[in-house]
Amino acid sequence: MRTRTGLVVGGCLLMAYAVVGALTDADLAPAGVLLFLAAVLVGHDVVWMAAVLTVGAALTRVPPRCRPAVRTAAITAAAVTVVGLPLALGFGRSADNASVLPLPYGRNLVAVLLVVAGTTLLACVVPVRRREAAADRKESERPAEGRP
Amino acid sequence: MVRHPDTPVTGRATMLRRLARWCLAPLPAPPVALRRGPLRPGVFRSRLRSTRLTGQLGVALGLMFGICFVTGLLSHLIQHPPGWFWWPARPVGLYRFTQGLHVATGLASIPLLGAKLWSVYPRLFSWPPVRSIAHAAERAGTGVLVAAALFLLVSGVLNVSRWYPAMPFFFTAGHYWVAWLAVGGLLVHIGVQLPAVRAALARPTDEPRQDGLNRRALLGGVAAASGLITLTTVGQTIRPLSGLAVLAPRHPGTGPQGLPVNRTADGAAVRAAALDPAYRLWVVGPGRRVGLDLAALYGLPQYTAELPIACVEGWSATGTWTGVRLRDLVALVGVDPRRSSALVESLQTGGRYRACTVPPEHLRDPLTLVALRLGGEPLHLDHGYPARLIAPNRPGVLQTKWISRITVPGTR
Repeated sequence: MRTRTGLVVGGCLLMAYAVVGALTDADLAPAGVLLFLAAVLVGHDVVWMAAVLTVGAALTRVPPRCRPAVRTAAITAAAVTVVGLPLALGFGRSADNASVLPLPYGRNLVAVLLVVAGTTLLACVVPVRRREAAADRKESERPAEGRP
Repeated sequence: MVRHPDTPVTGRATMLRRLARWCLAPLPAPPVALRRGPLRPGVFRSRLRSTRLTGQLGVALGLMFGICFVTGLLSHLIQHPPGWFWWPARPVGLYRFTQGLHVATGLASIPLLGAKLWSVYPRLFSWPPVRSIAHAAERAGTGVLVAAALFLLVSGVLNVSRWYPAMPFFFTAGHYWVAWLAVGGLLVHIGVQLPAVRAALARPTDEPRQDGLNRRALLGGVAAASGLITLTTVGQTIRPLSGLAVLAPRHPGTGPQGLPVNRTADGAAVRAAALDPAYRLWVVGPGRRVGLDLAALYGLPQYTAELPIACVEGWSATGTWTGVRLRDLVALVGVDPRRSSALVESLQTGGRYRACTVPPEHLRDPLTLVALRLGGEPLHLDHGYPARLIAPNRPGVLQTKWISRITVPGTR
């Protein structure tokens, strides 16, 4: 209990330090920070989660043997897109500095997503093929079973 | 003597007990008619969610945020050193490592935070929304933690992609103070959830086998997502992986003279001053000042050092720099370079990074140069022509370009 109390009290003190520090930092507009905090919270809890839950509901229609692979693909695609989309949109590019965002990120993001999709497809198809091959082997072995 | 258990305790203890009772006293539940939409029971049906999954994701995320916080705080202290802080000049690539780790860990945390928030999302709609004052405070604290965690990762992604107009605040200061907010919120959260964290780390006893398989598959998916992000970005600082870094905001070999640039000469508005034939580098000591033109600088003993430019944005690249040792320049004005610091100023007339202080441990290091050449050629204008600072184990923003003046206050 003492550990938990210490963590809670220490955490509250650090949060108070953050608030006082932000309010007294001449470089910082606290209103802008508050706006951004609210925007990311609402954006995540309302918009992003609605999309995630919709995709999650759609995943329940995927055959169970493929579901883990497709779920992994969906998580990976979403995460890579969060990182790659701001680069692909290219708002950070600079006219006089070619070393900033130097790659064709839109094309690269699509390529990474295609690799994820391809890997997922393989992960779904290969086990089925293997099972079929194993079944075929058993079929062909069956006549031999009765031989002396 | 045996004290009666009901003996009233006076003073502070009573007040604390009363306060605790008041905080924990049940609040009246809102009308059931308000329990609609996602507040209804059984809306979230995924069997993948479990306390154990949430706990395990939380432990992993706590570790990642811990690494991010320590490395980020270190970077802040190096740039704004308080009196007690000391940062060595060696190992040469230590800052390159810590800041590369900071950005890589932050990026790899994205799927972890996403999965963690998904796993606890139904709790946002728990009923009744508030059971007591203490419960309300805990929920508010969790809200702050979630907002702060999202803030850090989103602003970090926007920063490395240099999408500054999307942030209505100065990134460095906002990211720094919200990091303290997040760490404070995290400690409170761990304090509240410690039993659940312990249970998450203990071996399960009552988990059905299929649920265990599903949980492990989901954790594997999150790990795969983190791994793929790392694989496609970390080459911006780990050169052998640069070929895979298709989503890295920088490429270590891309830029003038094979090195990326953060601020160009035109961006800093120094082109004319840097190309002025009357250019002089002034070294100012307590009792003497020396003005050196380019020919005089080239006339001094030249040294070559292999040093990285390690940007706060997480990319880094090594260059072969040639120039005059800073300690040799400081010695020209009669100051002992072993115990002195120096203020290095740029030709820039304004801007946050137009000057930097070089502490004694960096000043006396033989690898700290006022570089005139990169890869054997005169510096490109965007790399700081005619002269720039390059020192080991320092953030790129402190490697001042287009140096105009070095002021030495005297021996410390």
